[in-house]
Amino acid sequence: MREYYPLTAAQKMHHNWIVDYGTQQVSGVSVVASVQAELDFGLLKKCIQMEIERSGCTRVRFTKPDQEGNVKQYIVKQDPRDIELKDLSGMGNLAEADELMQQWAYETFDGDNIPMCEFTMLKLPEGYNGFFVHMDHRLIDSCGLVVMIGDLFQLYTYYKYGTAYPQELADFQTVLKKDLAKAGNEKRFAKDKKFWDDQLDALGEPLYSDIQGPSVLEAARKRHGNPELRSADIEMQNLFVAVKDYHLEPGATQNLIDFCMNHQLSMTNLLLLGIRTYLSKVNDGQEDITIQNFISRRSTHEEWTSGGSRTIMFPCRTVISPETDFLSAAYEIQNMQNRIYMHSNYDPALIMEEMRKRYNTPEHTSYESCYLTYQPMPVKVENEMLGTVRQHAKWFANGAATKKMYLTVSHTEDGGMNFSYHYQTAHLEEHDMELLYYYMMRILFKGIAEPDMSIGEIMEQI
Amino acid sequence: MSQEMEFKNIVAQYSKVAPEEMTNEMRFREDLGFSSLDFMSFLGELEDTFDIELEENEVMKIVTLGEALQLLENLQ
Repeated sequence: MREYYPLTAAQKMHHNWIVDYGTQQVSGVSVVASVQAELDFGLLKKCIQMEIERSGCTRVRFTKPDQEGNVKQYIVKQDPRDIELKDLSGMGNLAEADELMQQWAYETFDGDNIPMCEFTMLKLPEGYNGFFVHMDHRLIDSCGLVVMIGDLFQLYTYYKYGTAYPQELADFQTVLKKDLAKAGNEKRFAKDKKFWDDQLDALGEPLYSDIQGPSVLEAARKRHGNPELRSADIEMQNLFVAVKDYHLEPGATQNLIDFCMNHQLSMTNLLLLGIRTYLSKVNDGQEDITIQNFISRRSTHEEWTSGGSRTIMFPCRTVISPETDFLSAAYEIQNMQNRIYMHSNYDPALIMEEMRKRYNTPEHTSYESCYLTYQPMPVKVENEMLGTVRQHAKWFANGAATKKMYLTVSHTEDGGMNFSYHYQTAHLEEHDMELLYYYMMRILFKGIAEPDMSIGEIMEQI
Repeated sequence: MSQEMEFKNIVAQYSKVAPEEMTNEMRFREDLGFSSLDFMSFLGELEDTFDIELEENEVMKIVTLGEALQLLENLQ
């Protein structure tokens, strides 16, 4: 008999965006994984089909929404399907093929009780071969995808070259049940709720800070006829997103890593400090800043290998005076983030709900303009057999941003870091991203060079 | 199962080190490979499993397995 489950908090986050914005496009995630080598597509097809069997999350389907728009999920036991092979090798170069795949990434899974995951095998230009996978984010997050793709290549090299068979993956359904049970633990829920409520009790209503300065909040105040308004409008119509990537050189990256190591700081917290200091600088020294930070809730072996959508965002709110020195500010953020980690089983929608209740926050307004994901995991497939074989792996934006500016920071093969800014073109331009990146770097490198310097001085000097 | 063994089995869910190889001197971050998120998630797991209340300021000081075990014993 088929079992139906409610969505977890992380899945609900994506589901709510789909409902709010009226399109599944906001929940799309797509990636191409390929190697510059000949592939046996018959075998690759078999391995993809095996992967669908191994990764339970690929077989998740959703019921028709009820009157409130809620859906339930279930896992089909078997999902036999043909895997199409597309030949793009005649295209001029990889960049052209990427452009076409970018179009595929905009496509939506529309309907109830349908597969929300699609694999396509690819012959690509420049001798690359591999596959493109397009999924709904309620099924999997980026860490889950990296693990799944690695598992798939391991299956391939096992059958092709006799390498070790991949280790068993944790059962998605078992982990899902555990997560739902944890969320239903009343004692845990009360502790988590208290943590988030205490923050509002102590600090009061948050205050919006925009990448473009205080004029955005001022405009929202005029629009709502409320000079005291502390939240600003979210774009609901034009969701088109553009992406601007910046590469930080290996040497400079190493300096940031060394600073983190020497001061027992995590890179996420250093990056949060960089963003919040920029926001403070462009918002007349505002001290109360909130940034939404995505947490990939994967800690246990089961959580790492069960696939699923475990990434969830929480508001990281800190009030830091300009007299605070850089290092102390970093520790303040770290302290806050550590406490958030302890309460990350909570549904972030409930935090917003509480704020709406307390402060009558107008609908479709937000206290945050910036969202951060730090991905310590490389996208590159780790496989002994692939060795030095060149790979082409690329994430494709779904083209519909629910967030004004979403920064993904990841490590690159050369030892550097990639800063990928996804921004809504309705309000932001590439120049805004240039400024943000430029000042973030100035802040971070000034701060790590002189950690005793106050945040106020850093803002003045850069 | 002893409380210590149960504790180590939970630790093992987050680490590559097997329970029988764990010593009280092992540090969560450096020796067992815990990230900040792992450590805080682990503490939540301890609270739920052993039905205890951890003081957030206290737990931030924990470095080794032995210190965590000691705290667990003190709270029961």
